[in-house]
Amino acid sequence: MSGDKTYCVALFDSVSHVMKAEKLLKEADIPYKIIPVPRSISADCGVCVRFLPEQKETVMEALRLHIHVREIREL
Amino acid sequence: MSELVNAKGCACPEPVILTKKALDAHDEVTVLVDDAVALENVKRLASVSGCTFEVTEDMGGVFRIDIKKGQTARGACDTSPEPPHPEGAPQAAAGPTVFVISSNVMGQGNDDLGALLMKAFIHTAVDLEHRPDMMIFYNTGVLLAANDSGTVDDLKALEEKGVRILLCGTCINFFELGGKTGAGTVSNMYDIAGALSTAGRIVKP
Repeated sequence: MSGDKTYCVALFDSVSHVMKAEKLLKEADIPYKIIPVPRSISADCGVCVRFLPEQKETVMEALRLHIHVREIREL
Repeated sequence: MSELVNAKGCACPEPVILTKKALDAHDEVTVLVDDAVALENVKRLASVSGCTFEVTEDMGGVFRIDIKKGQTARGACDTSPEPPHPEGAPQAAAGPTVFVISSNVMGQGNDDLGALLMKAFIHTAVDLEHRPDMMIFYNTGVLLAANDSGTVDDLKALEEKGVRILLCGTCINFFELGGKTGAGTVSNMYDIAGALSTAGRIVKP
């Protein structure tokens, strides 16, 4: 939200994958936020998962075995 | 002599109704409530009616609100909502833009999808070029203001940008969210109906 903070976003192949990711991150108690895919990225799927860069490994670990993460981008 | 209104144990919106009735007939009213939401609602009624008030907390969680009609109230404390436009108002559609969030999901059909969409909508609202003047949350909409909602930080950001956020007090009570919300003002049906009836534009996602 505030422009001076950096975040990572995880992009997925479908909305149902985003929902599944949300569930997994919630269960793992990892802070995240559902946001619309930034216009600058503009992918097919309209929503993505935002998290702090330092959580990148933890996030990947929580998701890896369950869903295919299409891409992680830094904002 | 101050008129005494004992609204202890009364459910929303009873304390406000009783206070409003008393203010219509008396210049000084003392209200007793035992609930934080009722306290806020009575305080708000007093301030929007141009009255001055003082709150004291007694033992056992009882709040005493001493309300006095202000000098500006011209003899009578005007507790009726102000008409949106005085006579000869130039623009018929003028008035605040209000976003009504009546559910924690956006659209009907699949609620998991709807919840996701609503989160994205609230987040997007923060950076909208034309932000609303007010957002009203009722029914499951109030869940979005809960501390663990994932949207509460966006609502805080909206408030910081000057958007008034009203949460339905009855709904907060129903979902047992008292003290568990992190943004917005707990409000009542008077404020909500008043805001809806004077809005220039109502947006319901």
